[in-house]
Amino acid sequence: MVLIQINGKMVKAHEGEMVLSVLRREGIEVPALCDHQALEPGGSCRLCMVEITKADWDGWTKNVTSCLYPVEEGLIVSTHSEGVLEIRRNILDMLLARCPNSDVIQKLAEEHGVMKTSFDTLPDSDNCIMCYACTRVCEVLGKSAISAVMRGHKKVIASPFGDAPPDCIGCLSCAHICPTNVILWKDENGKRTIWNKSFDLITCKKCGKETISREFADYLLEQRDIPADYFETCDDCKRMELAFKMGGLVDGAEEVAI
Amino acid sequence: MKFRYKVIPSLCIGCRTCELACAFTHAKDKKPGRSRIYPIAYKKDKYVPVVCLQCDDAACVKSCLFDALKRNEETGAIELNIDRCVKCEACVAACPFGCALVDDVHDEVIKCDICEGTPACVQFCPTKALVYEKI
Repeated sequence: MVLIQINGKMVKAHEGEMVLSVLRREGIEVPALCDHQALEPGGSCRLCMVEITKADWDGWTKNVTSCLYPVEEGLIVSTHSEGVLEIRRNILDMLLARCPNSDVIQKLAEEHGVMKTSFDTLPDSDNCIMCYACTRVCEVLGKSAISAVMRGHKKVIASPFGDAPPDCIGCLSCAHICPTNVILWKDENGKRTIWNKSFDLITCKKCGKETISREFADYLLEQRDIPADYFETCDDCKRMELAFKMGGLVDGAEEVAI
Repeated sequence: MKFRYKVIPSLCIGCRTCELACAFTHAKDKKPGRSRIYPIAYKKDKYVPVVCLQCDDAACVKSCLFDALKRNEETGAIELNIDRCVKCEACVAACPFGCALVDDVHDEVIKCDICEGTPACVQFCPTKALVYEKI
């Protein structure tokens, strides 16, 4: 156990824990776009910046991203000092120039008092903030189907050579984790399209409801010890099945036909 | 496991009070969402409350590639850590009883967590068809 001070309040933290997770547990609101508990901290959106100091630093302070800074004994953190708020406003100013059409960025900037960006806005912006949440989630999944390509201002998140990524399984984790909802997908007529790749969706054998993609189910079967027939019916039909089976047991019959 | 959640279908009258209790207990932003418990009629006037069975060797836990589902040893419930969930819906597809659900209202995956030890459905069930007891 480590004792740290956050905004004047003494707080207990676990050894090796990052400052942001302590802030989240204590209910202190700090904006963070690239942070997700399923991922390793990335420190790419820079919005979770806090000011830290220690008693023996003679009044010197340091600005760090709280998601990447491990707690230390005697750390003094301030999350809403004037300096930190100024940094956050500057970051949001730049993000607003990069993603002028993103609802999420607009709302966050407005909350921090940045109504209009002071820079030139990026023409034909795709709203991507380059936080790498999508590539990191794909890595955790064990696929790494997408990554950042090109360098500098031309850098984009894309599949290899812009083609349909051979390793993509159509699980939509990247699309759901994206903080600015950039990654688009479409489910249509039993087909799912994402990253220019088309997937067959599993259709329930009883009612025809579409569930996950066939490739994702195959990957789960390969990774984990789950019977294959669990994926063939939708959740609604499986609930009905359970009710009829349990009803049959209540009535004394072996099983009731559905 | 110190507690057990029990369903007695012969006592269920299908009043759906448990559904309401569930939806309102887990409401977010004052908006009730989808219920985690469903009384389903398997024949006329005969109901079975279908709810997560908290399996020992659970398919939902095995299917989660992000370790978002974990058993709470105190209550015996498999709890979904919503902060680790990426909504890939693997658990929804894998559960053999269809008890991991997608809540359309709040746009998230939901699953019965026995309300951290005080299940609202049990408290509201008028015929005691739902029981949460100490083993």
